[in-house]
Amino acid sequence: MTQTLSRQETPVSPPPPAPPRRKKHRDPSRFFRLYLPLVLYLLFTLIPFYWMLVFAFRPAGETTLLPWPITFEHFDTVWNDIGFGLFFQNSLLIALGTLVTVTVFAVMGGYALARFKFRGQRVFLLALLCTQFIPGAMMLIPLFVIFKNVGLLNSLTGLIIADTAFQLPLALILMSGFVRNVPVELEEAAMVDGCSRLRAFFAVTLPQLRPALVAVGSFAFIGAWNNFLFALMFASRQDKFTLPVGLSYALGEFNTDFGALAAGGVVAAVPVVLVFAVVQRFLVQGLSAGAVKG
Amino acid sequence: MKRLLVALALVLSACSAGGQDGPTTITFWDNNGGPGRTPIYEELIKRFEAANPNIKVEYVGIPSSSVQQKYDTAIAGGSTPDVGGVTTSYLAHLVGQDALEPLDERLESGPLKGKLLPGLLETVRQTAMDGKLYAAPASGNLDVIWYRSDLFAEQKIAVPDTWDQLVDAAAKLTKPADNKYGFTIRGGAGSVFQLLAEAYSYSGVDKFYDGGKSTVSDPRNAELVSKIAGIYKKSTPEADVNNNYTQMVAQFTGGTVAMMHHNLGSTADVMKALGAQKVSAMPLPKGPSGKRTVVPNPTDGFAVFKGSKNPDASWKFVEFLTSAESNGYWNEKVGQIPANTDVRGAEWIQKNPAVKMALGVLEDPATMLVPAPVYLPEYSSITKTDTEPLYQKVLLGQMSAQQFLDELAAKLTTAQQEWEKRK
Amino acid sequence: MRTRTWAPYVLIAPTLLLMAVFLVYPIASVGWFSLRQHTVTQPWKNGFIGFENFRRMLFDDPLFWQSLLFSAKWVVVEVGLQLVLGLVLALIVNETFVGRAMARSLVFSPWAVSGVLTTGIWILLYNPSTGIFQQLAQWGIGDPGTSVLGDPATVFPATVVTELWRGVPFFAILLLADLQTIPNDLYEAASVDGAGRWRRFVSVTLPHLRDAIVLSTLLRAVWEFNNVDLIYTLTGGGPANQTTTLPLYVARKAVDSHDFGYGSALTMAGFVILLFFSVLYLRLSKFGSRA
Repeated sequence: MTQTLSRQETPVSPPPPAPPRRKKHRDPSRFFRLYLPLVLYLLFTLIPFYWMLVFAFRPAGETTLLPWPITFEHFDTVWNDIGFGLFFQNSLLIALGTLVTVTVFAVMGGYALARFKFRGQRVFLLALLCTQFIPGAMMLIPLFVIFKNVGLLNSLTGLIIADTAFQLPLALILMSGFVRNVPVELEEAAMVDGCSRLRAFFAVTLPQLRPALVAVGSFAFIGAWNNFLFALMFASRQDKFTLPVGLSYALGEFNTDFGALAAGGVVAAVPVVLVFAVVQRFLVQGLSAGAVKG
Repeated sequence: MKRLLVALALVLSACSAGGQDGPTTITFWDNNGGPGRTPIYEELIKRFEAANPNIKVEYVGIPSSSVQQKYDTAIAGGSTPDVGGVTTSYLAHLVGQDALEPLDERLESGPLKGKLLPGLLETVRQTAMDGKLYAAPASGNLDVIWYRSDLFAEQKIAVPDTWDQLVDAAAKLTKPADNKYGFTIRGGAGSVFQLLAEAYSYSGVDKFYDGGKSTVSDPRNAELVSKIAGIYKKSTPEADVNNNYTQMVAQFTGGTVAMMHHNLGSTADVMKALGAQKVSAMPLPKGPSGKRTVVPNPTDGFAVFKGSKNPDASWKFVEFLTSAESNGYWNEKVGQIPANTDVRGAEWIQKNPAVKMALGVLEDPATMLVPAPVYLPEYSSITKTDTEPLYQKVLLGQMSAQQFLDELAAKLTTAQQEWEKRK
Repeated sequence: MRTRTWAPYVLIAPTLLLMAVFLVYPIASVGWFSLRQHTVTQPWKNGFIGFENFRRMLFDDPLFWQSLLFSAKWVVVEVGLQLVLGLVLALIVNETFVGRAMARSLVFSPWAVSGVLTTGIWILLYNPSTGIFQQLAQWGIGDPGTSVLGDPATVFPATVVTELWRGVPFFAILLLADLQTIPNDLYEAASVDGAGRWRRFVSVTLPHLRDAIVLSTLLRAVWEFNNVDLIYTLTGGGPANQTTTLPLYVARKAVDSHDFGYGSALTMAGFVILLFFSVLYLRLSKFGSRA
């Protein structure tokens, strides 16, 4: 059973959910329902990025639509004068740490919510939601005091914990929805075959959750990657700051430098976009039709 | 048990010995971190550490938009830096939270005695209810109008001396079809700060309070506000109603706008984008009275925090930053007025027309200073949260200038009376 | 599988621990401060004042109501548009076509851009001298000097569009992930029954996505309600408070004006409102009741 499943997940380009395509026939409706909206949306997405690229590669004060003559001075500014190298490294470590902790805890808690009925379940769900009702800025001072008392100021670990605490409720709720979508019969069948519940989970359910792991994990990663407030408030050392802090340097009164902002933006955005490009291929069907009947 | 005590004693003595021999580390928060200023401090810290091998300075650059929040959080959490950059616009808040060390005695007993501009010392002292000095002033600033000297020359327009001339010039420089405008108004964050400087420069009213009542609502001030509102969308871009500093500077350096009111602090931003051939600074124009009245711009300085474990080393660093050499270096780089009087003769001042002009204005005996009551704990909340939206209403024609200034004046008067009572 | 066991408690233990340590006390402290006059710059006035902050909020502060109304408008418009566009986008990139991987990573990428940067880019894009409208005007489209953020008539849509740019991918990613869990045989069965594309969408896709849609709209609504940074940097709540949301008002009161007590009271109001609507929404949508 396990083997059949894992073979079926190999990411061959999967059948889309709107299946009966008229193969080898050019379908004119595809232009209107697929390509046209896609191109329009891509334009909407890409124009702001293009603006950023232009400002990043164009000398300050120029107004041309093409970044010509091309310059790397802004990258020099962000890398050497602002110290983006270190910020980059910090952001990466924090985001990866948060990704791991959030995803693991979210799968655990999401599984509990989806597969068990237990006392306090509704209260727990509501409490999770409640944590999202208050803007971070209002909790800053009490949080700061807690962090100081447990010795987590000025440390990347502290920031990972802070980001995890804030992102976990959301991730957990989302994950519970995904777990609920995996037919419980699959797990039961595996358990009948003699698997323990834990093994059944790892062998059967977890592989089905791959799209969910990508979605929830990328949310956690990006949330931490982009967190500005905690990064600035819970660290008071230059070598612990992160990319968003570095970016806000370029937007200050007396320090407005659009070229540096855009160049810093390129540095901050490109790796994440590339990671997306890689992980998006896991956003495909893990389960083929036959397996459901298990 | 005995051995444990011995071990403990050893550890303790080791610790205290380490504290005396090793270098002391102090933290310094730059209230304006960014590509413009961080490298300047890094250089100064390098020099300081070379001269004081026993003290290490840890630089932390705080983005200026979040600096108040950062200080507030640090104070509430009891984790303040040793030394911090501050400006008088929020110094009262830090003093009010009892976070700063008074510096009068240290200043009087050290080499800086008598070296710092009395006017700047005065503006710093005014922010504290007890009249003590809670920051060493490092740099003075002045509201200026940056203008495109190249466009003025091209179109043979004289540099305005009065607000009426400025309004005329703005109209002449405006060509909506080409997206060119004569002036830009700061209508968003920070607007009222700048508007007050404009109003008093026009009205010639030479006191902020008269008999405990705010003079903001003086009809001559209202006249200026109406004038500015009158050119909105005619000689200024429509975007101005929401302009904060970033957006305003984008318009000016992007070439859309010929004149922009800000202060010397933007020298680097403006010069980097446009270059000295294209841009110059003029003082705020005068009004019909012909008098030069100036609402002083906030003073930059350095404060020592009460929580510092090394107040002596901290002061040493502040002293170093305000010494003639460092102070000159810093102000030359950012283009502001050095607080240390020994820098006055420096060559760079003669070569920086904007600073030279500003000094000329401030040292002119005919200039009257009208300090804004930044000492009021409510000052920034009144001039930002409460009244910035009202000014936008004036620009949009939903409120009259007089009505707006009346509301502002009423709030300032109440706050002042409360302050007097507590004093 | 619904046995009485300690397993679920073990599984949620890390989450509970994090919440207990890092969230309970800060939230409680906001509640406590809402009953106090607390202005850090005027410590001599601080003290317990009972419900005075709430009285002031409800009866003496038109801006509270105005900002609340705008928050509601903001949340409904944002979440509604993000959901519709996100669903459409998810369905599109779920199809098979040449360059799909590329298209997916491109349309998802704005989600990866931080708040600071999003507003930075859009400030430049909307700016009448450095932006897109200036460029279009040069090509003869529209008027030069068009300022969408300065015109009271366009400031709201302009802000909405900016947030859409970043927010639509959230729904698209989530719904795309959920689309993957629809068993194909459901579609096959529907096709056999002669259902067209639209019927299949309505009778198979939508019901399957229901829980995901309920959850994501709820979470997103809460998130958008509390979203401060974008509007704050883009419009500052202006012109003339037109785009001030409740949390933006909170930030201006508690952070800029240091009136922490009143800011906390405003926050508690937001808390209660969100709680009420969340419970109502979960009830009405019969969330999780699917067999």
